[in-house]
Amino acid sequence: MMMFSYLTATGITTGALYALVALGIVVVYKATEVVNLAHGDLFMIGGFFAYTLHVMWGIPYIPSLLLAVAGSFLVGIVTDRIAYRPLMSQGLVSVLLATIGFSFMLKGIARIVWGGKGDYLPFPPLVAPEPIQFGGIMILSQHLVVVAGAVLVMICFAVFFKTTRAGKWMQATADNPKAATLVGIRVSRVYMYTFGVGAAAAGAAAVLMAPLTLLYPDIGFTLFIKGFAAAALGGLGSIPGAILGGFLVGLIEQFAGGYIDTSVQDVSAFVVIMFAMVFLPNGLLGLRGVRKV
Amino acid sequence: MKILHNSAMALVAVLMTATFATTVVAAEQGVTDNEILVGSVGVMTGPYYIYGKLSMNGLEAVFDKVNEAGGVHGRKIRLVREDSFCKPEGAIAAVKKLIYAHKVFAIVGGACSNATLAAKPEIVRSGIPFNVFAAVADGITSPPSPNIFTTQLTAAIESRAQLKWALDKGAKRIAVVAQHDAWGRSRYEPLIAAMKAKGMTPVADEEMTLDTNDATTHILKAMNGKADAVIMILYPKPGAVLMRDAIKLGFKPIWVGQTAINDWDNFEGQIGIKGSLKNFSTITAVLYQPNDPEMKEWTARIKKLFPNDNLSTFNQNGIGAGQVFVEALKRAGPNPTRASFLKAMGSLKNFKTDVYPGPITCNSPKSHQCNQSPAWLGEVDGKLKLIGVTTLN
Repeated sequence: MMMFSYLTATGITTGALYALVALGIVVVYKATEVVNLAHGDLFMIGGFFAYTLHVMWGIPYIPSLLLAVAGSFLVGIVTDRIAYRPLMSQGLVSVLLATIGFSFMLKGIARIVWGGKGDYLPFPPLVAPEPIQFGGIMILSQHLVVVAGAVLVMICFAVFFKTTRAGKWMQATADNPKAATLVGIRVSRVYMYTFGVGAAAAGAAAVLMAPLTLLYPDIGFTLFIKGFAAAALGGLGSIPGAILGGFLVGLIEQFAGGYIDTSVQDVSAFVVIMFAMVFLPNGLLGLRGVRKV
Repeated sequence: MKILHNSAMALVAVLMTATFATTVVAAEQGVTDNEILVGSVGVMTGPYYIYGKLSMNGLEAVFDKVNEAGGVHGRKIRLVREDSFCKPEGAIAAVKKLIYAHKVFAIVGGACSNATLAAKPEIVRSGIPFNVFAAVADGITSPPSPNIFTTQLTAAIESRAQLKWALDKGAKRIAVVAQHDAWGRSRYEPLIAAMKAKGMTPVADEEMTLDTNDATTHILKAMNGKADAVIMILYPKPGAVLMRDAIKLGFKPIWVGQTAINDWDNFEGQIGIKGSLKNFSTITAVLYQPNDPEMKEWTARIKKLFPNDNLSTFNQNGIGAGQVFVEALKRAGPNPTRASFLKAMGSLKNFKTDVYPGPITCNSPKSHQCNQSPAWLGEVDGKLKLIGVTTLN
């Protein structure tokens, strides 16, 4: 029972992170139908922004977090302007390839700017690093921060899409770009902000998780795979699906490691992707073919 | 008249012999009257440059010191470097360039195991003396080739030392947490074999990757197995995750690391919890920390030649390998040949360097792994200290 409790608690905390990563992937996909393969590297860059601000320059944690999220947002917007937007007319495959190129570029930049200071950079936690008792089990307090932060970000996203005009434009563009253009929505601008918002989500996830994962230029790919597995399982076009998928992937990972073998833990995300592609092509909450009118 | 004729003929014969002998000696590749050209191959650029470039810098500091004192038997040593890029194809090209283009006498190098293994056939074929300074794969020197020696601790030596250390500390139930990539398997397999030879199996045998961000399952399994020691075949990042989650779960075994985890402060920072290394000890290939007073001279020499370097264990690897190389070169005599150098290398017994924890012994025909003495670092009264040396047979 103790093992089950610990695996569940850990699965939920790591799942919250995967949900945040998946959220960014889904937001971009919903609006543009592009899977941003550089999303994991935006996570990495967001983490390094926070590291620079908080560790290197000594700026307090909360302003560092906000500035890192803002910085990630800007990176998302800039890349749309210089790489993705010029290629949109060439078809989605061109944009997809551009995201791969951008992913390598971000890794290279990170190696140049933050490399050579030890291979894995520690990031101080927001709260005391010692474990605390929570619901009968020991848990790292930073894990609770991750869950709380992730839930907060998810709520922000929900409010953004439900109540703001920009959120509604994004949904309208995702639903039917041509119709959105006809009613006067500037679709290219919506795409730009979508890439920015997706990157901001990655930045937020990075700042929350950096004390637990450490920072290194290659961290992005692994977290992208986990986030993509969550998005594929939940439904690539569904924000609630991304959140559900994130928690499920976190739990599957832990239970696979605990009850099958630890060697299975890190590959379980790939198995989830394959399973979702074959048996649940629309994901658990995906709504392909259904359009709001 | 006949005497004069005979004397003249004898003189001509002597001159011819001397000329021939001189020609033969001078023809030894990389050796001239006033210089010996030595090559070094290793990674000099990219994320792993520390293993190659910094070791080369240590090597060059030794050669610089020797040259200041007049060289070896009057010949100065000149080092020429080639980058392997830590890639097999890069190492093969670099070794060929050193042997056939630069025409070096010998090579001291080998910084990435896979790359060095890939270049091994060319090294063996050419017969060039090759002393390894950083690469740890046992396959480079086992089975022994006549012209390849290593002064670095090999993976299997470290694994056997980890087991011996845990047992010496009184461990009865040992868990193993390892990476199963090429680096990890080169250590994991000898460790399991050494345990088997003692009639032991790990009470938990768990795998981590560089990307594992949570080790709760690994710790729970070690706890279920009632492990009193955990042998870690891990890089610092997964090692830090493992130890952090052990603290989370209140698990306090004897932790046994190896040379991949050699930056104490950084490792504690990665774990993120002060005092977390109380029960942790790890192998070091060098006797002194870079800031020890005994390293003062080498710190100054490195700084003089390479102002951007602060003496590190990687520099020290090169210093140790360089001192062994120079000693063998001295023993090879005033007119060194590759054969006489290899004979001298094979005669080294209990040779002490400024950096290695134990003596260097290469005189066993069964093994050219000359360094069999890993040292151990651990905390004593909150301070990092050398806490022991394990000597293996």
